[in-house]
Parts: sequence; C-alpha cells; structure tokens
Amino acid sequence: MNDFLIDLANHINYIAAIALFVIGLYTVLTHSNLLKKVIGINIMETAVFLFFVSIGFVNNGNSPIIDLGDLGKIYINPVPSSLILTGIVVAVSITAYSLSLIIRLYQAYGTMDLDEILAMRSEVNHD
Amino acid sequence: MDDLIVKVISRIVIPFMIVYGIYIILFGHISPGGGFSGGAILGAAMVLYTLSFSADVAMKKFPHSVSMKLESGGIWLYIFIGLIGIFTADSFLSNQQGGFYIGNAGDLISAGMIPILTVGIGIKVASTMITLFHTIIEEEGHE
Amino acid sequence: MIKHIPVLVQVSLLALAVLLPLLKKNKAAKSKLLTILLLAVSVAFLLISLIDVQQNGAFVYNFGNYESFIGIQYSINAFSTFMSFFVITLALIIMIFSTKDIDHEIAQSSISQYYTLVLILLFSMVGMIYTNDLFNMYVFMEILSLTSCAIISIKSKKENYLAALRYLVLNTIGSLSVLFGIALLYMVSGHLNMTMMNQSISMIWQLYPTNILIASGFMLTGFAIKAAVFPLHIWLPDAHSNAPTPSSALLSSLVVKIYVFAVYKLLFDVLGRNIIISLGIPTVITVFAAAGMLFGSIFAIGQKDIKRMLAYSSVAQIGYIFLGLSLMTEAGLAAGLFHVVSHGLMKTALFLSAGSIIYYRNKRDIRDLDGIGIEMPVTMVVFAIAALGMIGIPGTNGFMSKLYLSFAVLGAGQPLLLGVILLSSYLNAVYYLPIIISAFLKEPKSKNVTMQVEVLPFPMLFSLITIGFLCLLTGFYPTLVMNFITQAVNLFLS
Repeated sequence: MNDFLIDLANHINYIAAIALFVIGLYTVLTHSNLLKKVIGINIMETAVFLFFVSIGFVNNGNSPIIDLGDLGKIYINPVPSSLILTGIVVAVSITAYSLSLIIRLYQAYGTMDLDEILAMRSEVNHD
Repeated sequence: MDDLIVKVISRIVIPFMIVYGIYIILFGHISPGGGFSGGAILGAAMVLYTLSFSADVAMKKFPHSVSMKLESGGIWLYIFIGLIGIFTADSFLSNQQGGFYIGNAGDLISAGMIPILTVGIGIKVASTMITLFHTIIEEEGHE
Repeated sequence: MIKHIPVLVQVSLLALAVLLPLLKKNKAAKSKLLTILLLAVSVAFLLISLIDVQQNGAFVYNFGNYESFIGIQYSINAFSTFMSFFVITLALIIMIFSTKDIDHEIAQSSISQYYTLVLILLFSMVGMIYTNDLFNMYVFMEILSLTSCAIISIKSKKENYLAALRYLVLNTIGSLSVLFGIALLYMVSGHLNMTMMNQSISMIWQLYPTNILIASGFMLTGFAIKAAVFPLHIWLPDAHSNAPTPSSALLSSLVVKIYVFAVYKLLFDVLGRNIIISLGIPTVITVFAAAGMLFGSIFAIGQKDIKRMLAYSSVAQIGYIFLGLSLMTEAGLAAGLFHVVSHGLMKTALFLSAGSIIYYRNKRDIRDLDGIGIEMPVTMVVFAIAALGMIGIPGTNGFMSKLYLSFAVLGAGQPLLLGVILLSSYLNAVYYLPIIISAFLKEPKSKNVTMQVEVLPFPMLFSLITIGFLCLLTGFYPTLVMNFITQAVNLFLS
C-alpha cells in the first residue's frame, strides 16, 4: 500500500493530466451550450500540454539555462516545453476562431444552445 | 468603460507592460520566453488600452492597415532570412554556416539569426492578438 | 539548386498567401491571376523534382544542416514527390474552375481572403507530405484543420457556420488525441524524427508493449476522426455539402487523403510492419473499413441533395482505401494508394460537374435533373465518366483500382472481403445510375430546351474537360501511376 501511494505521488502529473482529459471530453460531449463545448476543448488542451511538459522532468535537474561556470550540471529536458509553446498558440487560434463562429451563430439563430439550433434547423428542413 | 480611476492607472501601467514585453522578446535566446510569450504581453498591453479607453480611440492608434502590413512583414522577414541560408550554406534556415554572427553564449548580441527571428515573431504575434480583439469588439458594436 | 525545389515551392505558396491581403485595387481579379500563375509554375517545378528523384534517387533535406538527431528533416523520395505533384496539379484544376464559380457563392470582398486561405491550405498539405518529423507533422496538421474549416465558413449562411463549428470541434478532439499519442511515443523513444524513432522502437518495443499500443490507439483514433472512417464520420456530410463547390472538391478529394498519408507514415515509417501485426491492429482497421464501405453507400442511397449524396459516397470510398491499407501486403498498400489518386480525380470531377449544374440551373435536388444532359452535355458526360468509374465499369480509373484491390484481397487470403467489395459496388450503382439515366434519357420538364455546347464560362469548361480526360487516361494507362506507387510501397515496406 505504501509503495502504491509513493508511486501515485511521484506520477501525480500524469494522473492529473488523464483526469483532466476525461473531464474535458465529458464536457464537450454532454453539455449542449456551445460556449461550454469550447471551454471543454480548452480543458482537454490543457491536459495534453500538462502531460507533454511533465515528460521532460529529470530527477535532480536544474532549470535549463546553461551555467558556464559549472559544466557538470544536470538540466531538465527543454525540448517538450518549447514544443508546447507552439501548441499553446494553436490552442489560442482555435479558441478565437470558434468564438467568432459562435458569435455568428448567435446572430443567425438567436440562441447558443445546440439542441435548440438543431430543432430550428429540422423544422426549416421539413417545410 | 469610462471610469476615471481605470484610465489613470492604465496610463501608468501600460508603459511598464510594453517595456516588459520588449525585454522578453529581446532576451529570448538567453532566458525563457521568446517570440510567442513576449508578443502576447505586448498584445495584452494594447488590449488593456482598448478596454480602458474606448474602442474607437484604440482603433485609430492601431489601424487595420498597419496591422496587415506588420503581419505580412513578419512572415516575409522569416522567409527572407531562410532564403539567405539557401544561397550561402545550401540549406534553408542555416544559422552559423549561413554567416550570421555567433558571439559568446550569454551575451545579448549572439546566436546568429535567432534574435532577428524572435523579433519578427514577437511583432507578428502582438499584431495578431490586437487584430483579433479589435475584430471581435467591432462585431459587438455593430449589432 | 534542384534539391531545394520542394522547400522553395512550399515557401512561395506561403509568401503569396500573405501578399494577397496587401493588394489595393482590383483585389479579386489580381488574386485569382496570381494564384493560378503560382500554381502553374509550382506544377512545372515539382515535375522537374519528380524526374530528378527518379533518376538520381531519394535524399534527405536537413533544415539548417543540423543532423537528424536534433533537426527537422524533409524526406524527398518517390512517394512524396509524386504525391505533392498530384496534389498541386489537382489544386490547379480546381482553382481554374473556381475563378468563375466563386463569384456566385461568396461576397465580392471575401474573394481574396478565400484565395489566401486556399494557398495556406496547400502550403500545409505539401508540408505534411514531405515531413519526416512527428511534431512538424502535428503543426502542419493544425494549420490544415483551421484553414479547411475556414474555407467552409467563408460562405455566410447559417448552415455553414454550424457545419464549420462541428468540423472544428471534432477536428480538435482528433488533433489532441494525436498529440497525446506523440507524447507517449516520445516518452518511450526519446526522438521525434521518424527514422530515428523507428530504429529506437524496433530495439526496445518488447519492454513497453502497452505504451506503444495505447499510443498507436490514440493516434489512429485521431487520424480516423479527421479522415472520416466509419463511426467517426458524422461531420463530413454537413461540411462537404454546404461548402462552396471548389471548397467541397478540395476537401473531399485532397484534405481527407492527407490524413491517409499520415496513417501510412505512422504505421510504416514510425512503427514498422512487424510491430503492427503483433499488436493486432490490422483486424481492427479491416472491420471499420468494411463497415464504412457498406454503411456509407447505404446512407447515400436515401439522400436527395446531390452534394450530400456525393459526401456520403466519400465515406464509402475512404473505407476502400483503409481496407487496402489493412491487408499489410505490397499489393494491398499499392491498391490503397492507387485508390487515393483515382478517387481524388473522380470525386473532383463529380463535385465540379455538380457545381456546374448548381451554377447554371440553381438546383440541388436529384429529382429535378431530368433531361439536363441535353442542356449541359459536357458536364453530364464528365459526370457520367466519373460515376461509371465509381461503380467500376471497365475503361475508367475506378475499375482499375477495384481490380487491384480485389487481387490484393484474394492474394492476402481473405475472400470474404471480396464479397464486401462487390456488395459495395452494387450499392454504388443504385444511387449513381439513376442520375445518369434521368439526365440523358428522360424528357426535360420545360419543353423548349436545345442542345448547346458553350453554356458554361470557359475556365469551368476547361477544368471539366481536363479532369474527365485525366480520369480516362489513368483508366486506360494505369501503369503511369502504378509505376510511382510501387516504388513508394517498396519504400514503406523495406
């Protein structure tokens, strides 16, 4: 039991990332408000970025700014952090684009609820 | 938002934000940060200006024509520096072999083309943030 | 200088794309002219690069001369040169069609924005074909998903906004699954370069089988959402039917196929054939591909809108490609890639002729198409060639791809799948033949129509005739294409 708890505490980053991913996916799939779907996607993105960044950790490593005086130091891996910078920019642009689409949908249909929009569309189609 | 306290405080805070953003962009090859985060801080400074004063004043200060030229200029700078690499060192985006000045590690003017690219990316990201915010605010005004 | 051609072509697409918003007067006409000039020049240069790789062999292009351990690489071999040549040629034909058609679909002020988006889309497609680095592929994939949503929503109608939003949400879930899988693979191997990851994984995969299985599961799910494999295809009918015609043609024939290339690269360049077979992945892909082939056609039978019917037909054809992929033999992979090329040509012809009918007559319902073969003979002949190709009549490229696929299925020892292919061809006939018959053999509703040839503007006519000619050419001389595809398959399976 002790070993299990110690393992859990050492890998808490990964467990939290997977829990956040599932919470975000649940939010996207079940809530019918369009804005909440966008928030769910942001939560999923945060989860994946957390997972990616926590891969780079090295035990007893220092932050990866090179110290020219002491060339034997161990640094953590800086590559995953720099990859995630690009990922964050992608997430921001997807959020901005989907928010402007939601504004247009609100102006066209008058509601932000996906169920009401689909009901309005099907009664237009059946006429 | 037409509040006197907000206007006075943002007049004091915005110059510091802009200097901080420029610091993060310029020191991108030495300390954490770089183009994306510095550009986001510069964009946030302008967004604060838009929010505390009115949207019309901010859009006169940073009109659409200027932001279009800045964004295209950022990408053309990147492509131009990449093409220098093709002609001097036979590979796109070469750094040391392309003839850029590599100084000592830890100085401000070092690491070849990386500061130039960082400045280009920073300006482009700031301009994009401001354009996105102005476009969405304009939508609200037109309802 | 020849070795720089792929990078220069790709960079020039991006350079023109950001130049177009800065034009002042006469934006729409100038952007159309510049786009078509640039695409024509790119086709010529990519042909030179293709001939050069055929004569001198494949090579690897390191960005910044950094070695593959720390840098980004493009791999320039028979597969990537041929596929990028095919993509840019097809895009050129669609863009020539769109010069006249796009004026009727979107507002005049958005036309130069449309061409900017299309150029960025082509930039990211060319990048995804050439790249040899997993995270570089992810970045290009994100650019591709954003621009392909944008060319749907640029037409300002209510249905387009909802279709684009649904496409965006599902695409983002797919991209995040792919990124999760890339993170798991990076954890195991420590490289992001595909060749080095292959060497590393093939040495140590016995120690981490669960990790690699979960990583490939996430990545295949993500790519399956984006490539519209059967249960995850629900975004496709709305998105492809409501979009403007050139966008539907681009999306249905090119964008969906790029994700098929990504699956090829993942399964064969990164993981390797032996690991996949021992993890049990081919059976899963076969089941979903066969289900897609049947259910895509079944859903298409009940559709009344012509573009929606063509979109559901795309779901069925993607099933063919994945069926060929899941056989894991040389013949199967070659049949899958050949169907990528031939379905691209046929679906472009179908969407462009359907778009011409909508442009001229403003009718989208297939019950209103009686006798339209007399008014628009060229359009309906091209539609008939492509539809007969989809069914599988000899002389068309669809017949050749079904032939290759059937021989591959029999060669892999699974005759049950041959029954699925035959059943799917019969279902294709059920919904394509009535359109051809009612277009040519029924009386038109209004009695005073005469046969004329030049009903459409010249660019649209030119594109239709070119694409019909290409369909027939690859049907009669399939070895022109199969030559390159067998070289590509040998690269994947070595």
